[in-house]
Amino acid sequence: MAIEVRDLRRSYGEVEAVRGVSFEVARGEVFCLLGPNGAGKTTTVEILEGYRERSGGEVSVLGFDPAHGERGMRERVGIVLQQCGIQRDLSVAELLEMYGRYHLRPRPIDEVLELVELGAKRDERVQELSGGQRRRLDLALALIGDPELIFLDEPTTGFDPAARHAAWSAIRSLRALGKTMFLTTHFMDEAQQLADRVAIMRDGEIIALGSPDELGGRDARPAEIRFALPRGLTLEDLPLMPYERCLVDGERALIVTAEPVVALQLLTGWAIDHELALGHLSVSQPTLEDIYLELTGSVQDNPSRQEAIA
Amino acid sequence: MSLVSGSTARVDLRRDLGLVGWQIRYEQRAYWRNRGRGLFTFVFPLMFLVIFASLDKGNHISALGGIPYDDFLVPGILAYAVIATTFTNLSIQTAILRDQGVLKRMQGTPLPRWAYVAARIASTVLVTGVMALVVIVAGIVVWGLHFRIGALPGVIVTLLLGAAAFTTLGIGLVRFVPNAETGPVVVSLIVLPISFISNVWFPTNSLPSALRQIAGVFPIKALADGLQYAFDPRNHGAGLDRSALQTLAIWTVIGIYLMLRFLRRPQGEQV
Repeated sequence: MAIEVRDLRRSYGEVEAVRGVSFEVARGEVFCLLGPNGAGKTTTVEILEGYRERSGGEVSVLGFDPAHGERGMRERVGIVLQQCGIQRDLSVAELLEMYGRYHLRPRPIDEVLELVELGAKRDERVQELSGGQRRRLDLALALIGDPELIFLDEPTTGFDPAARHAAWSAIRSLRALGKTMFLTTHFMDEAQQLADRVAIMRDGEIIALGSPDELGGRDARPAEIRFALPRGLTLEDLPLMPYERCLVDGERALIVTAEPVVALQLLTGWAIDHELALGHLSVSQPTLEDIYLELTGSVQDNPSRQEAIA
Repeated sequence: MSLVSGSTARVDLRRDLGLVGWQIRYEQRAYWRNRGRGLFTFVFPLMFLVIFASLDKGNHISALGGIPYDDFLVPGILAYAVIATTFTNLSIQTAILRDQGVLKRMQGTPLPRWAYVAARIASTVLVTGVMALVVIVAGIVVWGLHFRIGALPGVIVTLLLGAAAFTTLGIGLVRFVPNAETGPVVVSLIVLPISFISNVWFPTNSLPSALRQIAGVFPIKALADGLQYAFDPRNHGAGLDRSALQTLAIWTVIGIYLMLRFLRRPQGEQV
């Protein structure tokens, strides 16, 4: 195991930010901690990185207790913090050289620059870099020591879509190199795209843990068939289908069914027989986002979202 | 077994000292590249030297046994210059590095914390050395500062002990600086009032004794006194002002204590 956490607790005065969290991360795994702001993600990850003290529980990172701040751990761990300054008056290459010296076996500077696609900015000073380039330099500085385990705290917050996809491909190539990664994010698609396993955190507790496809029983949930109901027809005109729920809102119809194959066959057969076009026909599983909003209770706080589902 | 671990510890220490050497080079490169910072540290003391020295028309200070005014002023400005390059500079810069998260980033690397702090202090002392040389040479050439080779140990020891006290105090102060913006305010609130009663700008013999006693507690007066003693044309010997050096030594111990208090907590807890 790369990381083992048992009953981790942290309180700030009266406030309990982390309330008994347990999980394990295997070597070579990409593990993602997902949750709304204030859920305790950053407190958890900073305890694992050794930046914060814990109030209780057991933590092991590559066999080290991060509270002891041992050099052996820092030699093997790379950290990308949420917002973190870099010495301003040095160039990209100088910084990589400087941070590389701290490690016993640094990776070659040009190799790291290529991995984060920053080769063209080699001799630029930090203050001349754009926000996205600086974030890539963050990643480069975390990789220069060739770490086994990489912590990424909201690595793509503030990125445009192109930069986000570039960062994802960098993370995927690290995964291909066998690196273990611990990621926090509040982007569903990021967790879906990158993570082997996702833990959803809310109010200092992990409320769901599993692969992005299985989380919250997502793969076992009924499918949703959506289409535009042809003019002049009502719910009663539809053929008999196995379904859990069937809703019509104006023109739009939604059928929630555990047997989408059978339901779809009956629906499309009926439509062909009656020469009806079913506009906007689609079949989908609930997305990770639907599960997340349901689990974190954000649906209730957001009425427009509820309407969008119906 | 103990022999083996002893030799690896020695290898580690040698490697770490090498890292300190490299880090000093990077700190120096970054320091001199930032023109604004260099100018700020260098121009102020020299400007004060020119302004205050121009007030003098060959005066002698009767309260100090009739020594030339410049033999008092140049060491006083030298003391101010040491404080500006060490205490002021380090506390303001460290508060900025803390707020920007650079200290946090450094904490996450395998570079030992002591090595990073040692390199920043050493780099600062190098700048202070350059600054002191500029002030002393300008003092001798332009204002006829009296300087005896025999008093060189006094000059060097006082400067080094002053640098030790004010670098450690500067880093220790950061614990009391809530954020980077208030850094210059906090530093000025400490340095300016105390320097006015500490023989830096003018002789303080005519001040009320209560004020002089307050000034006597702090290291600014000790540094100014120590340097003025070393440059005093009436003195003989090595130029070592024992009571001033004693005060500076005590403040170095306090500085190291405060510095360690600041550095001990992990950076994530320092918000």
